[in-house]
Amino acid sequence: MFTIGKLASLTSVSNDTLRYYEQEGLVEPAGKSPAGYRLYDKDSARRIHFIKHAQNCGFTLAEIRELLALRGRDNACCGDVRTRAIEKKLQIEHKIRAMKAMSKALDQLIAECANEAQPVKECTIIAALERATVAAPVQ
Amino acid sequence: MKVEIFYTPGCSECVAAHAKLRAMAQEAVQEVEWRELNILEELDHAVELGVITLPSIVIDGELVFTSMPTVAQLRDALIKRTKARVS
Repeated sequence: MFTIGKLASLTSVSNDTLRYYEQEGLVEPAGKSPAGYRLYDKDSARRIHFIKHAQNCGFTLAEIRELLALRGRDNACCGDVRTRAIEKKLQIEHKIRAMKAMSKALDQLIAECANEAQPVKECTIIAALERATVAAPVQ
Repeated sequence: MKVEIFYTPGCSECVAAHAKLRAMAQEAVQEVEWRELNILEELDHAVELGVITLPSIVIDGELVFTSMPTVAQLRDALIKRTKARVS
């Protein structure tokens, strides 16, 4: 059994992050020491590694909670997890497209501002962004 | 009318549901183009159409269902579109 500090060093995660995971119901202490300190076991360390890997793949903590629940469900199958992975990939592909569109919009603004020595009041980028603000719908 | 269903390969329940939905669509709508698309082979096309959950159904280029509809729900959607085309 490990203390929270030991678990933190084993998993390269801070104590605060571990407490946060616990608050979010992602990990639970396996027991308590006679002095009342939380104690964790190897399964806790496995869960933390799982959480970190899933975060690296873009899953949110809420989605990771679902994945952990699936992991412990007897009637769940790999296909359930695979579908979630494919849906995450779709979300990422959407984000990549949105980011590329932003990058392209910036290319256009940068190309339009050819004269670096122009006073800022005449900056075409500022002017274009102001036009965009006016055109944006009021929320 | 073009109906595209994006599905995850290996989902046996989906295959059974597709057969029922396809049979209904072919009966309810004249000249329906029915396509069942493996998401892993059609990812770019799915992203273009705004698909982010599975299964999803796109009708004439519009994302209409983001989970598996019942036969009645799909029939309603198809009939609504057919009427809109006529009027």
